[in-house]
Amino acid sequence: MGRLIDLLPLSYTNAVVLVGAVVLGVTAGVLGAFAVLRERSLIGDALSHAALPGVAIAFLFTGAKDATSLGAGAAIACVAAAVLIVLIERTGRLRPDAAIGAVLAGFFSLGIVLLTYLANFNNANQAGLDQYLFGQAAGLLERDVNVMAALCAASLLAVAVAFRPLKTTLFDPQFAASAGLPVRTIELAMTAMLVVAVVVGIRTVGAILMVALLVVPTVTARQLADRLGVVLVLAGVVGAAVGGAGALVSQSAELPTGPVIVLCGFGVATAAVLLAPRRGVLWLARRRLADRRRRLVEGVLVDLETALHAGPPPTARELALAGGRPPRAVARALRHLDRAGMLTRDGDRVLLSETGAAAAHALLERRELWSLWLEHGWRLALPDAREPDPTDVRASLGDDVVERLRALAVAGGPEAGR
Amino acid sequence: MSDGLAIVVTALLVATATGLLGPFLVLRRQALMSDAVSHAVLPGIVLVFVLFGTRAPLPVILGAGVFAVLCVLAIDAFRASGLVRSDAAIGLVFPTLFALGVIGINTFASGAHIDLDATIYGEIAFSPFRTTEVLGVEVARSIPILGAVALVNLVLVAALWKELKVTTFDPEFARTTGFAPRLVSRLLLLAVAVTAVVSFESVGAILVVTMLIVPAAAARMLTDRLAPMVAVTLAIGWASAAGGYATAVELDASIAGAMGMIAAGAFAAALLLAPRHGVLARLAQRRRARRRVAAALASGRPSRP
Repeated sequence: MGRLIDLLPLSYTNAVVLVGAVVLGVTAGVLGAFAVLRERSLIGDALSHAALPGVAIAFLFTGAKDATSLGAGAAIACVAAAVLIVLIERTGRLRPDAAIGAVLAGFFSLGIVLLTYLANFNNANQAGLDQYLFGQAAGLLERDVNVMAALCAASLLAVAVAFRPLKTTLFDPQFAASAGLPVRTIELAMTAMLVVAVVVGIRTVGAILMVALLVVPTVTARQLADRLGVVLVLAGVVGAAVGGAGALVSQSAELPTGPVIVLCGFGVATAAVLLAPRRGVLWLARRRLADRRRRLVEGVLVDLETALHAGPPPTARELALAGGRPPRAVARALRHLDRAGMLTRDGDRVLLSETGAAAAHALLERRELWSLWLEHGWRLALPDAREPDPTDVRASLGDDVVERLRALAVAGGPEAGR
Repeated sequence: MSDGLAIVVTALLVATATGLLGPFLVLRRQALMSDAVSHAVLPGIVLVFVLFGTRAPLPVILGAGVFAVLCVLAIDAFRASGLVRSDAAIGLVFPTLFALGVIGINTFASGAHIDLDATIYGEIAFSPFRTTEVLGVEVARSIPILGAVALVNLVLVAALWKELKVTTFDPEFARTTGFAPRLVSRLLLLAVAVTAVVSFESVGAILVVTMLIVPAAAARMLTDRLAPMVAVTLAIGWASAAGGYATAVELDASIAGAMGMIAAGAFAAALLLAPRHGVLARLAQRRRARRRVAAALASGRPSRP
């Protein structure tokens, strides 16, 4: 890590923080996926609160505020809390959120009682123990980053090696157990890795902000991919990007690192929820709008074709009356058709141009084919049982089948088809 | 009114106000909403301090309340998109608001001592010292305030009992039969936000978070129906409040912490000893089933349950 830190065109401290944030982002991103996909997103929250009694007990035994023993105390308490959460869930009566909440509240209450006990019976030296939980990225040392990098590499390797059992246990524990996988061991190992990430992260970005670092990458990746392998890789990339970007922004804006990383992450996750293709809220809204407009334009096109067939060219107003549509919508659809070169105008009367007539005929043919399919399709013997696309039967079934469909329709009733 | 009595009454009122909402949060998988709110109010406190330079209770409660409501509505919006589960939605929103608060402190108020402990995160032990007059009698200020909150929650839960029940257990059915699950969900979350913010100021965040989750989780182990679950939740909450105070006096420890410990102890006992769903009951059931199968195998007849 030392060489990488020297290579970066930043001051030494900033380079250490940047590398630390990226490493933490990757670790939290990949391991967080296993929490978020099990509805245990907030396990980081519980673990960071659960560290308090661990810190207090470590201080009770050693009587010194030294980082190693306090860290060990915090880690042991976190492991105990994580195991308890898994065990409570396993009773099947409580959902993960209630299990997490109960453990969080119980451990934190114990921590407070221990702190007041220390304050009563010990010297004033305990002051600031609870501040241990609020991390300081700026105080990150190269040694810490090396430890984080080693833990990150180890956990990524473990995930890569045990990918298949992890995946099976994650999505279908019952099947995994019946297939002979050691489900309990795998689940505990998964939780233990998460504890490692959280304990490391608390020192860097602080307890509460660590929650976001676990959740953001998976929420983002989940909007973009459906397969676990892809989600894991994407989550790692998003975590690294969010960590790196947050660290750089916080350094140039002279703001605290952890909160800026979280704000970056929230922006990324919100953008993914809004804009993700085929899933995002705004993406879907746009497509719904486009669909509605397409239906309107097609409807007006057919109305116009029908009117022209029946009599003299209609005005926009007559067209609206004939189709039972609001005049403004019809005017909008006509403008759209005009831009596509499908109309010719005769004063305020509208006619179809050659392309317009062709488009109307094609549309009517498609609609006719769909009703033919509904009426006679069941008599066709087809190699597969797929339903064709209602808007385009010809493209989904092929010319050949369409000809057979027409032949059936011409021949008439069911008996004729035999 | 003696100090001890004032503290116990305050705690009982908190247990009542939270105990009426807690079961619904636990059943709706939103138990951690209270913890989220407890962190998400920070920017509100900072904003009030930066804009008005005050840490007086009323403006602080208002500022915190605005952000608490913002927090629960944002979580509800994420959840309603159908793209993010409610636990992940909570994990996205509250750290962000907390981060805004930390940045605010860092930028505008680093000189001032704006400490979570000193502002909204009240301490129940001090509640008897902040008094007010009600009908000519001097009582702790927290008692009328929390009494009002508990009453509002009681009215809300009683009036919307059917709606809360159906939208909690079967939101799809609720929608098709003409209930408004989104509206009910928002009302519940708003009640949680208001209850949490008002109680934080009187008794501190951790006690509120504990009282909203732990008694309801314990009641979930012990009961199978909604009305008994709410009743058991309230009973455990009251017992923790009274028992916690006695323990705290005995041990000379933090009152909120001791109440939380008693509640957690009740939860642990329910988890282990609950007659039907407890860990020991499950083990016994499994052992009986195993013995039955072994006996059936030995006798060569199919086992009967």
